[in-house]
Amino acid sequence: MTPRKAQWLQYVDAGLGAGAAIVATFILIAFVSLFWTPHDVAIIDVGARVAAPSFEYWFGANHLGRDVLSMIMVGARASITVAFLAVGAAMLIGVPLGLIAAATRGPLEEIIMRSSDVIFAFPALILAILFTAVYGPGALNAVIAIAIFNIPVFARLTRGAALPIWTRGYVLSARTAGKGRFRISVEHILPNIAAVLIVQATVQFSLAVLAEAALSYVGLGTQPPTPSWGRMLAESQTMVSFAPWLAIFPGLAIFSFVFGLNLLGDGLRRRFDPHRIAGMM
Amino acid sequence: MSGRDEGGNSAILSLPTHPLRQLPRHLPRKRRRNAGCVRFNSNAAPLLALLLSLLFTAAAHAAGALNIGVQLEPPNLDPTSGSAAAIDEIVYANLFEGLTRINEDGTVSPLLARSWTISEDGLVYDFELREGVAFHDGTAFNADDVVFSLNRARAPNSSNAQRALFELIANVEAVAPYHVRITLKEPLGALTTYLGWGDAVIVAPESAATNANHPIGTGPFAFQRWRKGASASLVRNENYWGARPALDQLNFIFIPDPTAAFAALMAGDVDGFPNYPAAENLALIERDARFQIITGASEGEMIVAINNGKAPFDDIRVRRALNHAIDKRAVIEAGLFGFGTPIGSHFPPHHPSYEELSDYYAYDPDEARRLLAEAGYPNGFSTTLALPPPAYARRGGEVVAAQLAAIGIDVQIRNIEWAQWLDQVFSNRNYDLTIVSHTEPLDIDIYARDDYYFQYRSAEFKEIIERLRLEADPAARDALYRNAQRKITEGAVNVFIASGPKVAVWSKDVSGVWANAPVQANDLTRADYAGRAPLTANDRSAPTRLPLWPIFALIIAAFAAVAVFARASPAFLVSRILSMALTLFAASLIIFVLIEIAPGDPAAFMMGLNANPEAVAALKTELGLDQSLAARYSNWIGGMITGDFGVSYTYRTPVAELMAERIWVSLPLAIMAFVLSTIIGIPAGLAAAAWRARSNGKMIMGAAQAGIAIPNFWLAILLVMIFAVTLRWFSAGGFPGWDAGVAPALKAMLLPAIALALPQAAILTQIMRSSTIETLHEDYIRTARAKGLSRRKTLFGHALRNALIPVLTILGLQFAFLLAGGVIIENVFYLPGLGRLVFQSIAQRDLIVVESIVMVLVFAVVAIAFLVDLAYAIVDPRLQSGGARR
Repeated sequence: MTPRKAQWLQYVDAGLGAGAAIVATFILIAFVSLFWTPHDVAIIDVGARVAAPSFEYWFGANHLGRDVLSMIMVGARASITVAFLAVGAAMLIGVPLGLIAAATRGPLEEIIMRSSDVIFAFPALILAILFTAVYGPGALNAVIAIAIFNIPVFARLTRGAALPIWTRGYVLSARTAGKGRFRISVEHILPNIAAVLIVQATVQFSLAVLAEAALSYVGLGTQPPTPSWGRMLAESQTMVSFAPWLAIFPGLAIFSFVFGLNLLGDGLRRRFDPHRIAGMM
Repeated sequence: MSGRDEGGNSAILSLPTHPLRQLPRHLPRKRRRNAGCVRFNSNAAPLLALLLSLLFTAAAHAAGALNIGVQLEPPNLDPTSGSAAAIDEIVYANLFEGLTRINEDGTVSPLLARSWTISEDGLVYDFELREGVAFHDGTAFNADDVVFSLNRARAPNSSNAQRALFELIANVEAVAPYHVRITLKEPLGALTTYLGWGDAVIVAPESAATNANHPIGTGPFAFQRWRKGASASLVRNENYWGARPALDQLNFIFIPDPTAAFAALMAGDVDGFPNYPAAENLALIERDARFQIITGASEGEMIVAINNGKAPFDDIRVRRALNHAIDKRAVIEAGLFGFGTPIGSHFPPHHPSYEELSDYYAYDPDEARRLLAEAGYPNGFSTTLALPPPAYARRGGEVVAAQLAAIGIDVQIRNIEWAQWLDQVFSNRNYDLTIVSHTEPLDIDIYARDDYYFQYRSAEFKEIIERLRLEADPAARDALYRNAQRKITEGAVNVFIASGPKVAVWSKDVSGVWANAPVQANDLTRADYAGRAPLTANDRSAPTRLPLWPIFALIIAAFAAVAVFARASPAFLVSRILSMALTLFAASLIIFVLIEIAPGDPAAFMMGLNANPEAVAALKTELGLDQSLAARYSNWIGGMITGDFGVSYTYRTPVAELMAERIWVSLPLAIMAFVLSTIIGIPAGLAAAAWRARSNGKMIMGAAQAGIAIPNFWLAILLVMIFAVTLRWFSAGGFPGWDAGVAPALKAMLLPAIALALPQAAILTQIMRSSTIETLHEDYIRTARAKGLSRRKTLFGHALRNALIPVLTILGLQFAFLLAGGVIIENVFYLPGLGRLVFQSIAQRDLIVVESIVMVLVFAVVAIAFLVDLAYAIVDPRLQSGGARR
C-alpha cells in the first residue's frame, strides 16, 4: 500500500511475476538435473517397480523402478531444449524472411508470404506427425518439425510489424542519408520490433512445449532411454488404474510449465504491447 | 464395440450394480418438471439433460456374441496369401478348414480329410475326403477344391508365404470326387502337420480371388463384415457339417495399444484377449473377480538378435560377452513383467526335445568384461539396439541397454515401427542388435539360412538341419533337435532370453478357449459364454455404409451460400479461389514428395516375415508400386479430383471407402467438440467481460488460463481415470458404430469431445472476453447506458451481437483445428476415425491412405480458411476492394 509498492506494481504485475517465477523454476530444475537428481534415471531397479509416492520416491517410481521425480527433472531438460531449439531456429529463419519481405516488397515478398500460407494451410500437428514418422522419430526431427511451423509465424509477424515502421520519419531520413535497405532493416527495423518478437517467442515457446509433449506422447519425439514428459504419460496409461501418480505428475509438469510460460507471455505483452488483443489462435 | 452394433440392452446394465444406474430413470421426469423455468434460460442445462437421457439407453453386447480383443489388425483375411499371424488369429479353424487340423496340444487330427494312407516309400499320400461339406456361399466341397487349393499354393506366381513347403509336392490329383492323391518329390515326415497350417486351408475356385476381403470357407463360422481399423465379425454357419458351435457371433476387435487393451477390458468392451498385451496389469486383473487368466505354452522365443555378420559381433568372444552381460531374469521382469521362462537356445521349453541350456552363459559382468578385453575392446564400443513396437521389446530393450552399459558398451536405442524393422533389420540386415520374438513353431531351421538376418553361417549346423529334414525316426530326430539347440548356443548366435507364455485374459463366464498356442490361432469353435442369450433374427442387420459425397456437397453449398450473402465481387472470388487452388497444389506436392521418400517397402511388409522375394515382387506389380513417381503422382491427383483416391495397399479396398467409414467418426467428433467448446466458451467469455472487475470474472479467466495450458491428451487420460476406471459411467474407448444407434455412438464420443473441447473453449473464452470488452468501450454502449438501459439489457441487446462478429470468424478456424486435432484424441480413445487410420497406415506403410487423409485434412483447413475470408468480407466489405488479404 505504500507508494513505493504501487510504483513497483506498475512495472511487474502479478501475472508476469508468477509466470517468470514458474518458468525460472523449471529452467533451474533442468539445470540442476545436469548435476544432480534424487535417483539416477539410467538405473533400472526392478525391486522398486511401480512404487507409490514415498519419502524415498517423492512422485513414485515407474514400471522399471525409475524415479518419477528424477525423470521429470531430466524431462524438463528435453522439453526446454527441443522447444528452445525449435523456436530459435524458426526465429533465425522466419525473422530475416519477414524483414526481407517488408524491405523488398514486390515478387519476393509475394513468394515468401505465399509459401507461408501453404505451410499455414497444413494442420500443424498432422504435418509434424507425418514428418517425424517419415524421417524417423527423435528429438532432432521433432525440433525440425516444430520449427517448420514456427517459421511462417515469425515471417508474418515480422513483416506485419516492420511495414508500419518503414513509413516512420527516422527510416525515411536514414534512406535519404543513403543507407541500404538491409542495413536499415537490421539497424532500425529490428530493434523496433524486438519487443513484439519476444512476446510472440514466449507464446510460441509454450506451444512448442505442448507440441513436443504431443509428439513424444505418440512416440515420435524424444526417444528412450532419455525421459520425456509426453512419453512418460503414454507409458503411464496402461497403469493409471493402479499407479495414477505415473500419469498425474508428468501431466502436471507439462501443465504448470505451459501455464507459467503463458502467464509470462501475457505479462510481457501487457508491458510491451498494450494495444494487442490478448488471446491467440 | 462391434458387439454392441447389434442392438440389445444397455452397456451400463451389464456392469455390476452401481448407484448411478438409478440416474437415467429419474432424469426425464426432472426435465419435464423443470421445463417451464428453463424455457427462457439460455444455458445448457436442457441440452445436457437430453444428452444424458439419450446416453443411458445405450445398446450393449449382442446376445450370444463373444467380443475378442486382438492386438493386430490383419492386412487381409486370406491365410493363403500372406503370412501375417493376425489373419490366422481370426479365420483359422473358425472360418477356414484344411485337410487336417492342429489341436490345442499340438497333435494333428483329420478335418476335411476323414482319413489317409501313406505309401511304403513315404512319397504318396491318399486322402479320403469328408462328404456333404459346403462352402459358405453354398458351393459343394470335393476333391477338385483340394486340387485347386494346393496347386494354387505351389504355383510359380503364388503369393503363399509357405510356398517353399508346397514346392515339395510333385503332383496333386483327384482320383475320385472324394479321394485326393498327393505325390511328393521327397519324403516329408511332417506333411500332415503342414496341411493343418493356415497356409494350407481349402478354398473354392469361385471365391479364392475375393477371399482377401470376403473370405469364404467351410468352417463353423462364416464371414459377416470387416470394419477396417475397428473389428471383424463372423457369424455361425447354420449349415456347418460338424458340431454346432455354442456362440452365435465372434467379433474380433483390433486394439493395438496395451493401454487401450486394459481400458477395453475394464470397460467391458471386450470379453477377453487370447494374447493379453499389457502384462503389467495382470496382477490387478488377477484380483478382479470378473476375469480369469489362462496361461499356456506358446512357440514364441524372445531373443536379443545379434548381427553376426557385422564387426565387432563377428567375433564369438564379443557375442559371448553379451550373453554373460545380460541378466535374462531382469529382462523378463521388466519386459514381460515376470511372465516368461528363461531359455538358452531357440526352442520352446514345453517341447519334448527341449534341451535345458538357459544357464549355459551365467550372468557374470566380470567375465563379460574379460571376454571383451580379450577380443580387443577393453573399453567397450558403441552400438545400436533397434526396438520394434511391442512392449516386451521396448521395455526389455531399456534393461538390455543398461546392462550392456555396465560392461562398457554404449548402446543407442532406436525405436522403430514394424515396417522399418522389416525393411532395415529383417530384409536389409542393416542393424547391430535388436529384440524380437519369433513365434513360428519349430523354426530352428532359420539358423541354417545364410541370408537370414542373424547372418549366422555354420556348415555343421546346416548339416544337422538337412539330416533332420530327411530323418523319420523319432529318437534320431530328438537327438538331432538337441544337437541343433546346443550348436547355436555354443556359437552364441543370439542372446536367448525367454519363452513368453501365452497369457490370455477372459471374462470368467467364457469357457472352451485354447490355453496353449501350437499355431498362432484362436480356435473358438468350442468356446461358450455362459449367460449370453441367443441371437435374434433382426440383430443380423447388414452394415450401413455412408458415402463421402455429402461432405463435398456440403462444402460447395457453404461456398455458394457465403458467396451470395457476401455479395462478393467476382474478381475477389476468383483471386481467392485461385490462391486456394495454388495452395492445395503446393500442399499436395509437399505431401507426395515427403511420403514417397519414406523408408520401408509396403509390399515386403504385407507379406510378413518368411515371404519369398518373388511373392513380394508379384504383389508390388499388383499394387502398381513399380510405376514411376510422376505417373503415381498424376494418378493420385487425377483420381482425387474425380473422387477416386486409389486402392489401399493393406486393406485392398478403395481409399475413399475407408475414409467414408472413418470420416463419420472424425467429423461428428469435431462437430461435438465444436458445439461443446462454443456453448462453454461464448457464455464464459461474456460473463468474464461483464464481471471483469469482480472476482467471478477473474476466476473465469484463471480457469481459462489453466485450460489453455492443459495438453488435451493428458486431459483425456484424466477423464478416463475418473469417468471410466473409477466411476465407470463411460467406456474407456471404442466406438459402437452408428448402426448401433445414435445414442451409444454419441456416448462413446462424449469423453473424447470433452477432452478436445475444453482447451479450445478456454481459448474461445479469452477471445470472447476481449472482444466484448472492446465493444463495451464503444460510444453506442455508453449512449445506451446513459439513456438508462440496464447493464444486462445493454450487454445482451447491444454488446453481444457486435462482440460476436470477430469471434464468428475465429470459430471457423477452431473447427479446422478440432478436425485435425482429433488425431491424437482418437488414439487415446481408440475411436476408428481418420486420425487412427493415419497412424495405422503410417505403421503399415500404406502410403496412399496417408497421403489421401492428410490431403483431405489440408483441403478441409484451406476450405474453412477460405470461408473465414469470405465471412470477413461480409463483415468488412473494405477488404474486397484490394482483392487481397489485409
